[in-house]
Amino acid sequence: MQKKDIPDAGYSMFDARGNRKSRSENQELRTEGVPFSSNYVRLPGREWVIVGIVLLAIFCLAPALWERFEKFEPELNYRLPYELGEDYWLYNRYCRWTCSVYETLVIGDSVVWGHYVPKDNTLSHYLNETGRRPVGSSPALPGGRNQFANLGVDGIHPVALAGLLKYYGRQISEKNVVLHFNPLWMSSKKHDLQTTKEFHFNHPRLVPQFTPNIPCYKDSYSRRIAAVVERNVAFLGWTSHLRIAYFENMDVPTWTLEHPYQNPLGAVTFELPASRNDDPQEHVSWEDRGISKQDFQWVEPYTSLQWSFFRQTIKLLKARKNTVFVLVGPFNEHMLKEKSHSAYRKMKSEIEAWLQQNNVPYYMPPVLPERFYRDASHPLSEGYDMLAKQLFENQSFKSSILSSASSAAAGPQRGP
Amino acid sequence: MLFHTWPFVLFFLIVYPTYLVLKGTRFGLCWLLAASYFFYACFSPLYLILIFYSTFVDYTAVTIMDKWGRRKLWLLISIVNNVALLGFFKYSGFVTENLNVLLSSLGIPYAIPTPGILLPVGISFYVFQSMSYTIDYYRGNIEREKSLIRYAAFVSLFPRLMAGPIERAKNLLPQLHKTPTVSVQNITDGLSLFVVGFFKKVALADYMALYVNKVYAAPEQFQSPALILGTFLFCWQIYFDFSGYTDMARGVARMMGFRLMLNFNNPYLASSLGDFWSRWHISLSSWFKDYVYIPLGGNRKGTFNTYKNMFLTMVISGLWHGAAWTFVIWGVAHALGRCLTRELERTSFYKERVPKLVKQLFVFTFVTFTWIFFRAESITDAWVIIARIFTSGFANPYCPLLMLALIFAVWLYQFAYESRLQWVLALRPVRVAIVVLMVLYLAIFAPSSEQAFIYLQF
Repeated sequence: MQKKDIPDAGYSMFDARGNRKSRSENQELRTEGVPFSSNYVRLPGREWVIVGIVLLAIFCLAPALWERFEKFEPELNYRLPYELGEDYWLYNRYCRWTCSVYETLVIGDSVVWGHYVPKDNTLSHYLNETGRRPVGSSPALPGGRNQFANLGVDGIHPVALAGLLKYYGRQISEKNVVLHFNPLWMSSKKHDLQTTKEFHFNHPRLVPQFTPNIPCYKDSYSRRIAAVVERNVAFLGWTSHLRIAYFENMDVPTWTLEHPYQNPLGAVTFELPASRNDDPQEHVSWEDRGISKQDFQWVEPYTSLQWSFFRQTIKLLKARKNTVFVLVGPFNEHMLKEKSHSAYRKMKSEIEAWLQQNNVPYYMPPVLPERFYRDASHPLSEGYDMLAKQLFENQSFKSSILSSASSAAAGPQRGP
Repeated sequence: MLFHTWPFVLFFLIVYPTYLVLKGTRFGLCWLLAASYFFYACFSPLYLILIFYSTFVDYTAVTIMDKWGRRKLWLLISIVNNVALLGFFKYSGFVTENLNVLLSSLGIPYAIPTPGILLPVGISFYVFQSMSYTIDYYRGNIEREKSLIRYAAFVSLFPRLMAGPIERAKNLLPQLHKTPTVSVQNITDGLSLFVVGFFKKVALADYMALYVNKVYAAPEQFQSPALILGTFLFCWQIYFDFSGYTDMARGVARMMGFRLMLNFNNPYLASSLGDFWSRWHISLSSWFKDYVYIPLGGNRKGTFNTYKNMFLTMVISGLWHGAAWTFVIWGVAHALGRCLTRELERTSFYKERVPKLVKQLFVFTFVTFTWIFFRAESITDAWVIIARIFTSGFANPYCPLLMLALIFAVWLYQFAYESRLQWVLALRPVRVAIVVLMVLYLAIFAPSSEQAFIYLQF
């Protein structure tokens, strides 16, 4: 039973026998009578143990149980909806699912995700489509099956991607990985996260929170520690998932301000948002949009943060026994002014040299026709189609990805 | 570094185990002082100069009183020094602003430059605590503390450094003299207090702040229902915020083997204004009673002087909270309320015939009304809010029902706590369930923003 609070004994100058007490005795007495609190939520050790066990059970089981109730059945050419781009718990779940179904994972930023194209016109879609029929010297993949999964995340950059795969992509092992590198992330010091002035960039929770230092990242220590904890506690990732998937990426209190008379529990429908509909206006090339040529201030690869983290990602994926194939670009070189173009070529050759030195199979496709680009780095549907065909004709791609994909596909049939 | 943030968790995970190892040794006190000073320096390293100065002056004043006499002079020096510190850091901007208004109204084309000094965190609390030491020594209530390190630890003890409770030397210094006992019960009690405080702050106060801030930022844009609800919610926000802070402070201290005084005792269940002030910010109310009201004469010199002393004490208390006319008006309103209701509360009719619930409702309404002045950005805003409450029409307040449901649940809990149903809350399954639900609520639903404690600005 609850211990009774001791009423304040007051400050008496005399003891029980009526003798005068010393000052220090009196001072000690004062501390005995401090009331506990104005409530009864006072748990002794044994009850704290019960609380601990109950909470531990909930913390461990809730995310796993949740997966049984929340429908997640990715269809063909699925990609994580844009709204769920920061739902890393769901990304982890998606990774698990794709690893059990697909042979080859296409990983990268919005270029892989397909920012300006419908989900049925992305690189992975065209790779699957191309794989179903013979291209040039490449035969069709056995069974005409889908082999490529779109694991791109819209808005992610190499520094964040390294964190994403390190903490939320642990299941990606012994797979074929087509890892895309977008040179856009080295097109200025700001893109490379090297400016000392703070600015908002995407996916801050995935970048290193303390070391190595990201110069433009100046979030509070509290938020940084919270990000580190969240990476390692699945329960917290799951609570973020609830917030992002059901509460419009707001915490519940803020959400109730927007929906004052709605029951927050009613918002949890167990149905994840579908991918947004594609905007046809986005299928317009950069020229038609009136974008002029640009003078990018390229960052040298040996000083680039983004390139450094991309290399780490390659090492990480290799360490997990994946076959990694790197796709660099194709960057819209038509958009570059001459000076910028020569700097870009130099940068590209340095990247190529590193890939060769480290025996990483890669492909640096030639620039696509001008009208196939939406902006500096995003191809339009035709561009993805052309890129997929080029890949299927690339020797390095065939030997590293297609050969192992073919042998794996010859095994038991799985997948959508 | 606030209690409800990760840096504090990290800080405590480093400080606490080391403290447990060192507490019985001669390094224990040094470690406690170093941790407290580090904790304070996290707000700004410059604050250390200030707290050390305040500590050193009072320590020296009492030492000189003890060794060379001239007690009154040194008491005066200590009080003047402490009041000057507060005056400079807390009120210089307020005084300058008002002087400039005066000069301008007199047509004098000169404006005194505004000092632009930021109020150091916790200064109002530790200055009062340190001052009570010299006064208590002067009165002969306590012995001189010989160790500067112990005295500095008493002034700066980190669990209570930010916003109290304002401890008395006769309570805390003896605890620093002996090796604190850290039993399992101390740890579990501390944890209990901390969890409840954390819930009050993060789940309740910060949630209510979302609506209150919206309404009070632009009161002219809201109609009566939103303004009433905003004020009602602020009433609870400030209670949850400050009592939540206090619970966490007491919890941390308890885990370290120190017992800090109770600061809140269900104030919104008070049945008179006097009762309210014996339940709200108890450490400050009792400080003002002991060091202002009673020295002024208390209730010993007739009815008029009693009311005069009561009035002055309440106004000073209002001004203590902040350097703005809104706080002065808040203090005056409480002073008037207290004076006007004191006689009424003594009548047998009021005592015996008026139901307790009606009394509680009256006190709650009055206190809530006065919070308008406390919260409003300016006197103009306060009048706008009051005027619009009574004159503007009805409009949907868009106040989250969940917020109101949470307040009702807390009120119900407090009501049960002070009723015959208290035994229900004492049942083990109920207590365990309450704690589990609180932790789950915090983990799943709590706001992601980290808002500072309201009383940090005082």
